[in-house]
Amino acid sequence: MTSADADAALIERVKLGDVKAFEMLVVKYQRRIERLIGRMVRDVDLVPDIAQETFIRAYRAIPQFRGESAFYTWLYRIAVNTAKKALMELKRDPLITETARASRDDGDETSRVENELSDGETPDAVLASKQIAAAVNLAIEALSDELRQAITLREIEGLSYEEIAEMMDCPIGTVRSRIFRAREAIAQRLRPLLGTRLDERW
Amino acid sequence: MSSGSVTEAALLEQLSALADGEVDPADTAVACARWRDDGRVRASWHAYHLIGDVLRSEDLAIEPSRDVAFLAAVRDRLSKEAVVLAPIPKAERGFRDAGEARPNDAGARTGRRWPWVVSSAVAAGFVGVVGTFTLTRPSAPAPAEAQALASAGSPTLVASRTDTASTAVAASTPAPARSLALDVSGVVRDPALDTYLAAHKQFAGSTALGVPSAFLRSATVRNYGR
Repeated sequence: MTSADADAALIERVKLGDVKAFEMLVVKYQRRIERLIGRMVRDVDLVPDIAQETFIRAYRAIPQFRGESAFYTWLYRIAVNTAKKALMELKRDPLITETARASRDDGDETSRVENELSDGETPDAVLASKQIAAAVNLAIEALSDELRQAITLREIEGLSYEEIAEMMDCPIGTVRSRIFRAREAIAQRLRPLLGTRLDERW
Repeated sequence: MSSGSVTEAALLEQLSALADGEVDPADTAVACARWRDDGRVRASWHAYHLIGDVLRSEDLAIEPSRDVAFLAAVRDRLSKEAVVLAPIPKAERGFRDAGEARPNDAGARTGRRWPWVVSSAVAAGFVGVVGTFTLTRPSAPAPAEAQALASAGSPTLVASRTDTASTAVAASTPAPARSLALDVSGVVRDPALDTYLAAHKQFAGSTALGVPSAFLRSATVRNYGR
């Protein structure tokens, strides 16, 4: 199944009025969309706002999404348009550019630090990020060959369960089970790093 | 397998398969309901996708509290949106999107008009129009009725959202008492609404009113005897 179809089930739920199904898509694509917008918009503090706006615009336009392209392709285009729009509005608004200029000129050391480090770039966040990446890599290497192959074929090669079943010469149910067990094994290593009481925060 | 007998491990395996788009609509509905109700399921959905992102690109290894905050912000903004409804007719359902399908002949006339109404630029305005209709109609159809009308009628429908959570067009908000003229076509005319419509030219005129009034005409007729 191509990624165009991978989101079809959730999108059908959204079209039936299931807003939570849309939230599931938000969780799925939020990091990638923020990264995309971050490449277009230099002020990193604006990125979350533009990304949120992207998802809201996508939600409103869901009735027009007909599955002719992959959902992520469609979402990507909305993100680019939303970022462009935001950049144009920034250029037009003299108050915002004046504030930006003023804060750059400010000699105060504290505010300079605040301006230079966004949420994601504080030492704590960078460390957390490295720990997560390291944990995932360690966990992948610790997997059995079958589990590692299954999750690699799925996540990196983007193959469908059917295709993976053919390649690994096993039933589709086995593919499904292996991918699930691989994810859970990696998640077990991650959970201590992901913060306490995460279940409640979600 | 009924949702009551699904163990946590089995549910998480469904969730994992859903992340890959390998789940049928019935099981998708169950998984979505559990996602809604269970924080551990939500945390797992996030973990599975974080894992996939990190496997493909280490710069997506982001500390999850940012992701939690992001979803909370989107949720907050979604709560202010009208609930989007664009049900696909049963015959067209499955993993293929309905695309150009229109439900039935009765809906076809209104069906052609509804898609432009829900484009993002006009959606807010339309919700306002519909909302005004529901507030000024002397008797609103029951939510269940309106729901049936909605599913029988048009392919896309923007519903007003209230805290009391009626997703039908006819919100259960009690209508303020206003004197209204009933013109001969049976459409409830409200002077304030007419002023609003005149200001928003694209909705003014009987053809535009033909969209909601076709919907409302059946509703008003149903309630006439009450």
